[in-house]
Amino acid sequence: MIMNVYLKNILRFCIIVLLQVLILNKINLRWWSEPANFPLFIPYVYPLFILLLPFETPVWALLILGFILGITVDDFMNTAGMHACATVLIAYLRTNVLNALLPRNLSEYTNQQPSMKVMGLMPFLVYSAFLIIVHHLVFFTFELWSLSNIGTLLLKTVASAITSMIFIVVYMLLFTRQSVSRT
Amino acid sequence: MRNFILFIRRFFNLILFLGLEIVSIVMIAHTKTLQGDDIVSSANFVSGHIYKEQSDVKYYFGLRKMNDSLVNENARLRIQLDQIHSKDTLSDSVVHRRLNPNDTTSHIVTYADYVYRSAHVINNSLNANDNYITIDRGSSDGITKNMGVISGTGIVGRVEHVSAHFASVLSVLSSKLTVSAKLKDGTFGKIIWDEKQPDVLIMEDVQQQAKVKKGDSVFTTAFSYFSPDILIGTVLKIEQIKKNAMQRIYLQSSTNFHSLQYVYVIENKMMPEKKQLEDSSAKK
Repeated sequence: MIMNVYLKNILRFCIIVLLQVLILNKINLRWWSEPANFPLFIPYVYPLFILLLPFETPVWALLILGFILGITVDDFMNTAGMHACATVLIAYLRTNVLNALLPRNLSEYTNQQPSMKVMGLMPFLVYSAFLIIVHHLVFFTFELWSLSNIGTLLLKTVASAITSMIFIVVYMLLFTRQSVSRT
Repeated sequence: MRNFILFIRRFFNLILFLGLEIVSIVMIAHTKTLQGDDIVSSANFVSGHIYKEQSDVKYYFGLRKMNDSLVNENARLRIQLDQIHSKDTLSDSVVHRRLNPNDTTSHIVTYADYVYRSAHVINNSLNANDNYITIDRGSSDGITKNMGVISGTGIVGRVEHVSAHFASVLSVLSSKLTVSAKLKDGTFGKIIWDEKQPDVLIMEDVQQQAKVKKGDSVFTTAFSYFSPDILIGTVLKIEQIKKNAMQRIYLQSSTNFHSLQYVYVIENKMMPEKKQLEDSSAKK
């Protein structure tokens, strides 16, 4: 039972957006409450949708999907354009990062999507961590809109990115189909 | 011409990328101004309805807490009511006549006319730089832009975007919103937020002569979109600023933004008139 790749990605889009806006946006995390000026943050896992699109997705489709995803999340969070800007950027960078990390040309991976199984554990972690950090850095820069308190910016980026990575690894472990050799 | 088409084809991805980035940055720049605009907000149809569904589910789990807060608010209002009843305001006037609100000839003028509308909070954020609250009332319930929003215990924010059935409220926990405030002895200041803790507000530009001590209450003034004498918070810490001989006061916010369920939207019926007067005098 192989689901149509389009249907699968549309479903994943809905699930990831709802997971982000209905659950993750509601849990405000804070690593320490003392010293009291550690900012509240939430993990952003929705870029995972862009990370998991099939290898042969053309760049223009990545960009447009990234923009749609970003605007959808912006719409829920009253942050006009900030998520869209960060997501379009990582959609553009995705192909280059994958090319740098994979031994073979991207066009040779047909009908496959980035995952721990296809890429190996470390390359996948490097790929997702790099793009997530870029995404968070851009997003929080736009959110704070000034470099005057760069400490808060870095603190928020690092804290949020690490938490997002934990959620992404958990998501990958939960939603990757295990070996299907058993009938 | 052919070269141009080739150029477009060669750099199509880069052009698309730059185009989309420019669109997003223009949208960000629009919202960074104080006025904002209504392109993207959680007051629209789809996100409003999804938030409403979610809040209907969550509603039952918070009933107990909400009951307690309503009882507390009732008790507080009863005390205020008793204070007003026990005061005989007409005792020293010469003629005892009934006050008629339509009687404009009498020298007692109704000073400001506030209408309160209750609304249910269906989405709330605390972690962003500019936090927004979505409520389930919109223009069809008479909500318009720039109305003040309070909770049972204190101030919440100001209405920013309105759709037919939803509105999004910019909360006090925002770098964009300032509220004018006064201390018990009548000293004015303004309330801002330091973008870090969701329960600490800062009152700035307070004159050094003002006598403040820890635990004092801070209230709203009649200058803003809030009705006067609504509690903002209590004084936590006082800081002297040598540079401009002012004080900065840290307040414990009286509204608990973590568990906001019901709010009141304030309509000031005198506001259009006041605004018109101020605008006409500013033009001269």
